[in-house]
Amino acid sequence: MNSDISIVGLSLQIALVATGVTLPLGMLIAWLLVRKQFRGKFALDVIVSLPLALPPVVVGYALLWVVGTNGWIGQLSESLFGTTLAFTWIAAALAAAIVSLPLVVRSFSAALAGVDPRLETAARGLGAGPVRTFFTITLPLAYRGVIAGVLLGFVRALSEFGATIVVAGNIPGRTQTVPSAIFTRISAGDTDAAWRLALVSVVLGVAALAIHNWLLKRSANGIESSKGSKR
Amino acid sequence: MISFDVKLDRNGFSLDVAGEFSDGITAIFGPSGAGKSSLLSCLAGSIRPTSGYVDLDEHTLYSSEQKIWVPTEKRRIGTVYQDGALFPHLNVRRNIEFGWKLLDPADRRLVPLDIAEFLGLGHLLDRKPNELSGGERQRVAIARALATSPQLLLLDEPLASLDAARRGSILNYLKRVHAEFGIPMVYVSHSISEVVSIASKAMLLRDGKVEGFDRPSALLLRAAAAGGDIDSFENILDGVIGESTDQLTTVKIGEVEISTRHQNKNPGETVVVSLGANQIILAADRPTNISARNIFGGRVSEVWSKQGKVFAEVDAGEKFIVELTENALNELGISVGSDVFLVFKSSSVEVFDA
Repeated sequence: MNSDISIVGLSLQIALVATGVTLPLGMLIAWLLVRKQFRGKFALDVIVSLPLALPPVVVGYALLWVVGTNGWIGQLSESLFGTTLAFTWIAAALAAAIVSLPLVVRSFSAALAGVDPRLETAARGLGAGPVRTFFTITLPLAYRGVIAGVLLGFVRALSEFGATIVVAGNIPGRTQTVPSAIFTRISAGDTDAAWRLALVSVVLGVAALAIHNWLLKRSANGIESSKGSKR
Repeated sequence: MISFDVKLDRNGFSLDVAGEFSDGITAIFGPSGAGKSSLLSCLAGSIRPTSGYVDLDEHTLYSSEQKIWVPTEKRRIGTVYQDGALFPHLNVRRNIEFGWKLLDPADRRLVPLDIAEFLGLGHLLDRKPNELSGGERQRVAIARALATSPQLLLLDEPLASLDAARRGSILNYLKRVHAEFGIPMVYVSHSISEVVSIASKAMLLRDGKVEGFDRPSALLLRAAAAGGDIDSFENILDGVIGESTDQLTTVKIGEVEISTRHQNKNPGETVVVSLGANQIILAADRPTNISARNIFGGRVSEVWSKQGKVFAEVDAGEKFIVELTENALNELGISVGSDVFLVFKSSSVEVFDA
């Protein structure tokens, strides 16, 4: 039981850190893809979307190669901290971030594309710089899609298995997440314990989706009620 | 005063326009695709021209030669867009205050609430844009731009998404805004009627080039040749309600008192009157025994004719533009300086709230 709680805790920690990476990064990439014309736009789109088309194991293997002793991130962290990131919870968070990034970017892109660019032009004309325009106009108007994207990315990070197990392993207490623990328990024939964690996965997924729907409903109600009271 | 010479090459479209607009209301008009909005974007700074310059009141906003580019948010230029482009998540008050809040306090020459009152928005401050009518939205857009105390106000087809009744009203508000705040305006439109009503000077654009820069009425026929919609030219005039009888209501337009169908309005109310140029008959002598309720003497101040199409401007205390055929012009012997009579029915006059 105790180990279940620490497994869930580590999974949540990894998923939260992954979301913390994909939120700003996904927003920047989505904004570039939707609003900007530049050389290499197609390449960026393909690179970001690639994890969606590849088996997660391949993504994990590629990541292992980058963070391992021979990769540039690996060498950097080795010279800084004396160790590589491979088989740490940070590597698991990186894997979860990379795998969920395409979903996040897709949601954010749809949300940003739904904002009339002329409103941004109008805000700029009224004296707001590009950053202020983004935070006062674009983001509040893309609110629903952004929340949807964040939660979708979070849920995906939480259920990540294939890339994680390659790059972070399945070390109890250090990198063992809910999916990898379920895998271990199934392999060991410990079905009761496996079902227990599977149930936890279902609860976490339903909770995230419920929060998602609740937030969307609340923002929809906000618009409805202000309309109803004035008319 | 804004002076500019901008060249823009973009997606196969090229714009090459130079001009100098004084502190009154200047119109830019021409058919769709002529480059009106692109020119406005170059002035506002939301599009960077390929080359040229833009100067506003001694400040260089753009110069390809001196490599100067003032970004749009640093220009003191307000823009009003076709459908208002109001921020849908902010109420009227926060829309109007959006730019004002970003101003250096020393530059806040106008108080947003005063502007809102002036534009008749005082009772709408807590509403969201989706709870406003088209006319109200445009007034909020005007207030929002004015609140930034701009040195120049750009209006990009501000009436295009409104119905006829609202158009006259917004046009009237714009004239009053100009009179009250003295901010120079550049008014973009494809409607020569609006342009003649509001602007003192007009630039006619066609295929990205200047076709003419003149008094708006003088550009009527050239506008027609450029594909402008002038078949339905309307004289749009500001008036005040006078006496009413059962069937008729008098409207004072400057010195002229015209008869209209009965209006459910009180004497002294300000209105906007619209009268089609093709609804007015010209007579060389004062007609008698005629059913038309409006007969005014005037003098022809200008005549434009081209390919059988003729427009005459008649000064009857107020200037009216009349459309007639070349045939009629010749038969009546009308030319500049001729004394004529304007004849039109009371039912030809449309009266809108100002």
